[in-house]
Amino acid sequence: MNDMEHRKTNDGEGRRLDGEEEEEEEDEDEGNGRGLDAWERAYADERSWESLQEDESGLLRPIDNKTIYHAQYRRRIRSLYSSTTTARIQKGLIRYLYIVVDLSRAASEMDFKPSRMAVVAKHIEAFIREFFDQNPLSQIGLVTIKDGLAQCLTDLGGSPDSHVKALMGKLECSGDSSLQNALDLVHGYLNQIPSYGHREVLILYSALSTCDPGDIMETIQECKKSKIRCSVIGLSAEIFICRHLCQETGGSYSVALDESHFKELLLEHAPPPPAIAEFAIANLIKMGFPQRAAEGVISICSCHKEAKVGGGYTCPRCKARVCELPTECRICGLTLVSSPHLARSYHHLFPIPPFDEVSLSLLNNPHQRSSRACFGCQESLLIPGNKPTLCVACPKCKQHFCLDCDIYIHESLHNCPGCESFRHSKIVSVTEE
Amino acid sequence: MKFQIEDVTVYFPYDNIYPEQYSYMVELKRALDAKGHALLEMPTGTGKTIALLSLITSYALSKPSNPIKLLYCTRTVHEMEKTLAELRLLHQYQLRHLGPAARILALGLSSRKNLCINPAVVSAENRDSVDAGCRKLTASWVRALAVENPNIPTCQFFENYEKAASEAVLPPGVYTLQDLRAFGRDKGWCPYFLARHMVQFANVVVYSYQYLLDPKVAGIISKEMQRESVVVFDEAHNIDNVCIEALSVSVRRQTLEGATRNLSKMAQEINRFKATDAGRLRAEYNRLVEGLAQRGNLPISDTWLANPALPDDILKEAVPGNIRRAEHFLSVLRRLVQYLHGRLETENVEKEGPVAFVASINSQAGIDQKMLKFCYDRLHSLMLTLEITDTDEFLHIQTICDFATLVGTYTRGFSIIIEPFDERMPHIPDPVLQLSCHDASLAIKPVFERFQSVVITSGTLSPIDLYPRLLNFNPVVSRSFTMSLTRNCICPMVLTRGSDQLPVSTKFDMRSDPGVVRNYGRLLLEMVSVVPDGIVCFFVSYSYMDGIVNTWNESGILKEIMQHKLVFIETQDVVETTLALDNYRRACDCGRGAVFFSVARGKVAEGIDFDRHYGRLVIMFGVPFQYTLSRILLARLEYLRETFQIKEGDFLTFDALRQAAQCVGRVIRSKADYGMMIFADKRYSRHDKRSKLPGWILSHLRDAHLNLSTDMALHIAREFLRKMAQPYDKAGVSGRKTLLSEEDLEKMGDGTTNEMLF
Repeated sequence: MNDMEHRKTNDGEGRRLDGEEEEEEEDEDEGNGRGLDAWERAYADERSWESLQEDESGLLRPIDNKTIYHAQYRRRIRSLYSSTTTARIQKGLIRYLYIVVDLSRAASEMDFKPSRMAVVAKHIEAFIREFFDQNPLSQIGLVTIKDGLAQCLTDLGGSPDSHVKALMGKLECSGDSSLQNALDLVHGYLNQIPSYGHREVLILYSALSTCDPGDIMETIQECKKSKIRCSVIGLSAEIFICRHLCQETGGSYSVALDESHFKELLLEHAPPPPAIAEFAIANLIKMGFPQRAAEGVISICSCHKEAKVGGGYTCPRCKARVCELPTECRICGLTLVSSPHLARSYHHLFPIPPFDEVSLSLLNNPHQRSSRACFGCQESLLIPGNKPTLCVACPKCKQHFCLDCDIYIHESLHNCPGCESFRHSKIVSVTEE
Repeated sequence: MKFQIEDVTVYFPYDNIYPEQYSYMVELKRALDAKGHALLEMPTGTGKTIALLSLITSYALSKPSNPIKLLYCTRTVHEMEKTLAELRLLHQYQLRHLGPAARILALGLSSRKNLCINPAVVSAENRDSVDAGCRKLTASWVRALAVENPNIPTCQFFENYEKAASEAVLPPGVYTLQDLRAFGRDKGWCPYFLARHMVQFANVVVYSYQYLLDPKVAGIISKEMQRESVVVFDEAHNIDNVCIEALSVSVRRQTLEGATRNLSKMAQEINRFKATDAGRLRAEYNRLVEGLAQRGNLPISDTWLANPALPDDILKEAVPGNIRRAEHFLSVLRRLVQYLHGRLETENVEKEGPVAFVASINSQAGIDQKMLKFCYDRLHSLMLTLEITDTDEFLHIQTICDFATLVGTYTRGFSIIIEPFDERMPHIPDPVLQLSCHDASLAIKPVFERFQSVVITSGTLSPIDLYPRLLNFNPVVSRSFTMSLTRNCICPMVLTRGSDQLPVSTKFDMRSDPGVVRNYGRLLLEMVSVVPDGIVCFFVSYSYMDGIVNTWNESGILKEIMQHKLVFIETQDVVETTLALDNYRRACDCGRGAVFFSVARGKVAEGIDFDRHYGRLVIMFGVPFQYTLSRILLARLEYLRETFQIKEGDFLTFDALRQAAQCVGRVIRSKADYGMMIFADKRYSRHDKRSKLPGWILSHLRDAHLNLSTDMALHIAREFLRKMAQPYDKAGVSGRKTLLSEEDLEKMGDGTTNEMLF
């Protein structure tokens, strides 16, 4: 190339040659025979239209992603189950969870619509309700980070509404965020919890950095020592310090891809995590089962300090009136629960094993004609056109279920109808003899 | 795991192997079979080192009748230790499977500074003074004196080593430098001389490039190596520069002043000897008359750096008569120094070929070519005769003789350039006379000729066809491997426009444009707000970095960046940079986040890794072309065009792109890692530039990422970081197998499988 250019400038750097000619601006795109723009090609490569299908009458059939969805679900169930049943794992049923909401500058970013902060608040509300549904004996507290400071929004308590209300009133964001301050604050509160309670922190972190007054590594070690399980859900990207925190304290770290993924990640924290052996020593807890007071009786409520009519429960030890369960009696400090609360917490200890997928040939076997219908909902397992769909079977009672029932049994029912009725019929047959 | 490649059973210390490691081994095996040279490019983080070591040692084991020796060259001591640690792992595995038959001796060799265990010597601050300190204690005449006079200090370790004589051997095993020191302490033997001795018998030697490429060092260390050796140059993308530096000398005013001092000191010594021990000088003279430049077999502790010219070019002749006498030789040197002084006084830049230069020395100082050629050997001999031990004081005169010998020996491929001041600071006179070598093939030629296989390998050797031309050899195998990944963990992007759609570039006419500077600033500012932990920025030069950081500071962009992350800057001062790097790492560790500003071709760009959270994003601001008005570069370009028909533009682009690839390659050091790379210059979107990037980057550079503006890049970055933060399956999903087990390899069986993998 002998037409290198020597250009003179006056900033003392002398002249420079770049080894190239005066270039045309639009000289790229040589491999672009299709005449598409680069962004169009990205879509063309995926060929999304090819996954469209037509039914017999030539109409477009909605893309069936039910099986994909179900496969994902089964993978999750299996991983959950394998982690719980390998050894008989203890689970913390009485949890003390602090939710730390990052309301620093980064929470106002608009990559989640309408803003990260609004999305977080919306899902926290759902999460709090779900949490109390699954862990009726547990308590939640809220902490926010703003302007580099951590602030306690609500103390530990068992009432979903008060938390949600407190959070909604405080939704504005500014300043930096400080992980250390938040951990210090939460650590101070959780340290006072009695030893049977499981100490947990769930941090919803928007920011990508933390601006700390001291050495955060020390704080993390403190948390580890106090057996506080710290989990983080990030909203933007993986941050080393969060990963480190979760690894050290035994929590989980995840980053949300989008809003629905965020919701999923958040709800994963609702069922109780397996307790780490040396953290949880089994011990007995004194509990009271209060009676519901008669309707129309006027009494002074110990929680609101005012006279109320009807409803309410009476503490079996000191006879004070409380408005809702579960709670701790304000007068004598007894833990007050109702028996359904206990029962609902119980199923976490004995999960139903995941069902096996059944091969189609077995179904076509004429000897098993009876099992062509789902044992749960009695729907036929054959879709119109007499083609079998995917179905599953309980490994114990060998009954077949459709995919919807599979999900229902594992997520909500926590009992296998097949096993239950089998046991029942056996008892009947025994008595008949 | 154990598997078969054709007739060789390969022992590999891990349970699984990456497909690219396997095909790398297959190619390497072919090169060894053909007894030829190889050029292999494979990205870092794919286990290049272990693949190399594993195949070559297994190859040697499979042919016990004619075992090959492995000479493994690394760039730094740190890499040397890492390589030996991997070799140890491999060796233990082989021992478990083969028993004592697999025993080998492997050791690292480095300078005295790294191996000495005598506390009095090793405490000296630089390499040359450690060397001199050692000589003061171990030179043969010092030891001879010490026998008579016990007050003269000697080195206990060396004495023990000498006493042990032939029993001083290393038992088989793998020795890192640290192990050598520990072994030496244990036995009371000097580890440096022990290692120097054992190098001849070792199966594997790991040492630095200089030991093979710099004729001064290679002459004494690698002289004895057998022909049946495999030489590996690891991280060899800059090998041409190492070759050139090995044969280049620069002389400044300080050098000449120092040399003058050295000369008068030597004159004093000569006079002293004349008075006390005239016989010694006479003996030397007689020896020289007999035509021996060297004194025959010197004791190991007296050996000096060998002749700077390549072994083939050294004349085996008698030293010319007019420099045989010590006084005459000194006066020749004095005239030479005087002459060089005169040349440095010049006002203009001068460029000359060696032939013209030698002719002008001859006419003005009366020193002919042959005398020049013998300068180095003659000086060596004289210093031995004068029993000079503080060699670090005499570096200046050595440099002059070094220069003289090279000028006297070579007529092609060199030029002499005299610059009265630094191009960038024309007001400060700083004359320098440089003898610069333009031909990288000169220094490496003896290596190619002497050893049966030479393997040149690195993460960035693209375009792979240029290296054989630069180094003037014919590889039997030259291939570039891509990385098999379980997920797309690198995300290269070419950013051509700022958010205002104006093009950005560091092209000379555009770089000081305020719009470009602002766009670069906005780019960084946007990126710091979406990328977690560490970001590394590379600029094209120190002066450009200074300028742009200044402007950012004035316009307040720097302050805004600091709100998100701390800013650290590389300087030319090594200590300062180390401190900055240290703090940068701390800021990344504790979650504060940090940006590191660095310079392509600087120390950081070459040697420091920014893996994992230390570098989630690297931004290459501009194309790092060399300073193209440097006389030396221009002379080299001219030489390349005339000799190898390599166009200037091609070479400059190649050189710039390999630097850029080297810079951005810093962020990925393993497959589990992930990172983004932004090439921020519109010129990268041109095909001639882009196509010179290594294949493993190009294969991830999607069409849609070729011509981005800042806001598009921002969007891609967000998506990418979210995707990468998700947990993933290390073994890879069914379609893309990235880990092969023993069974997989057996199933693939014979050579038909390579095609299947890629």
